[in-house]
Amino acid sequence: MLEILENNWLLFLIGQYPHGPVGGLAMTLFLAVVGLSLSFPVAVALALARLSSHGWLRGPATAVVYIVRGLPLIMFIFWTYFALPLLTGRTVGGVETLLFALVVYEASYLSEIIRAGIEGLPKGQTEAAKALGLGYFPTTFKVILPQVLHNMMPSLVSQFVSTIKETSLGYVISANEVTFAASQVNNQLMTQPFEVYGLLALTYFTLCFTLTSAARWLERRLAAERGGLGVQTA
Amino acid sequence: MIRFEAVEKWFGQQQVLAGVTGDVKRGEVVTLLGSSGSGKSTLIRTVTRLEAIQGGKVLFEGVDLAGRGVDINRLRQRVGFVFQAFNLFPHLTALGNITLGLERLRKMSKPLARERAMTELDRVGLADKADALPSRLSGGQRQRVAIARALAMDPDVMLFDEPTSALDPEMVGEVLRVMRTLAQNGMTMVVVTHEVGFAREVADTVWFLDKGQIVESGPPAEVLDRPGHERLRSFLAKVH
Repeated sequence: MLEILENNWLLFLIGQYPHGPVGGLAMTLFLAVVGLSLSFPVAVALALARLSSHGWLRGPATAVVYIVRGLPLIMFIFWTYFALPLLTGRTVGGVETLLFALVVYEASYLSEIIRAGIEGLPKGQTEAAKALGLGYFPTTFKVILPQVLHNMMPSLVSQFVSTIKETSLGYVISANEVTFAASQVNNQLMTQPFEVYGLLALTYFTLCFTLTSAARWLERRLAAERGGLGVQTA
Repeated sequence: MIRFEAVEKWFGQQQVLAGVTGDVKRGEVVTLLGSSGSGKSTLIRTVTRLEAIQGGKVLFEGVDLAGRGVDINRLRQRVGFVFQAFNLFPHLTALGNITLGLERLRKMSKPLARERAMTELDRVGLADKADALPSRLSGGQRQRVAIARALAMDPDVMLFDEPTSALDPEMVGEVLRVMRTLAQNGMTMVVVTHEVGFAREVADTVWFLDKGQIVESGPPAEVLDRPGHERLRSFLAKVH
């Protein structure tokens, strides 16, 4: 196992770079970070639309969230893989395809976290903002969302962990991430699948476990802070 | 300044305001008394349209609050509202709670808003707590910040919804003191409270509400010392 690592660690880490495109773990992390960052504004918009008093905003947003959450990600990836080139009229690479599918998928899940966060805030917060004379946008962006995001930090990290694991599906459309790199190594060696995929498992586990621990630590710290933030006791 | 005309409000099948009619004049301090469920909190919430009404009218300086073309956010800036549960923004400091409205609504520059907010904090005796988050303040201090936040918008009238009911007894005094000073400086105030002593001392007029109606109103000496209505007599016996 160590020998495999010794011979292939660079491929695992950054793919064929600099002789080819960046790949491996670097691409996995890139996909997760960029995917989640891009999905974030979409998620906020979806959550606000879902809570809107206007039916023409609420209806479509609710439909999108329900449909996406009711479908497996891999189906979404296939769909994007075939539809995106048709719609744009040009070839779209594996990384771009995966990123697009991830953004839509993650945004739907994140929007539900954000929506729950907004609904979980005491009603008095909105009332106080209204009573001051603040309109919808300052109330939302200066009063409500900062509190929601703060309270949401642990859930956000959890979602990030899921996203890291979901990027592995990029393998099926040859997006150059770490699972793809591992299977390249496996194809070369041919005889040691357990060792290769064991290494892959260890890589994912280390990354995700570290982040999950961080989320737990955040959660504890937030719990300690509460009483002041989030839930305000009278 | 504020006129209630046969105001009716229903929560589902239950009628909470059953035709309230009354006037609050400029510079007047009106205290609303009544047992819980009598509709007194709901009544002042209609003035900032935190509660919609189903019948009658609420007029602010002659303008129907529910009328077409009423800019409710502009109107709300002229009506200060203080909540029972304070409702400070927990992610902002005491100062930040006050500057938010000044910067967003009054379009003040940051230093100007800060200066104004400090004046208001000083007025409620909390200048030294400017940078504290609400979670680091006591209940009484939080409510004083909430009052300062409302005052910073230069309101024409201040509405208080049971401002001391959520406070420990030893903190009630500091909040009432701030309110008393306000009243002495001529602020128009409508105060929902159980503090009969405060009503007696500060109010110009006392309204006693029962089952969504004003059943008795007049100067405190008259209403509180010679209660005509049976419900008021039993109410006063309970809170005294």
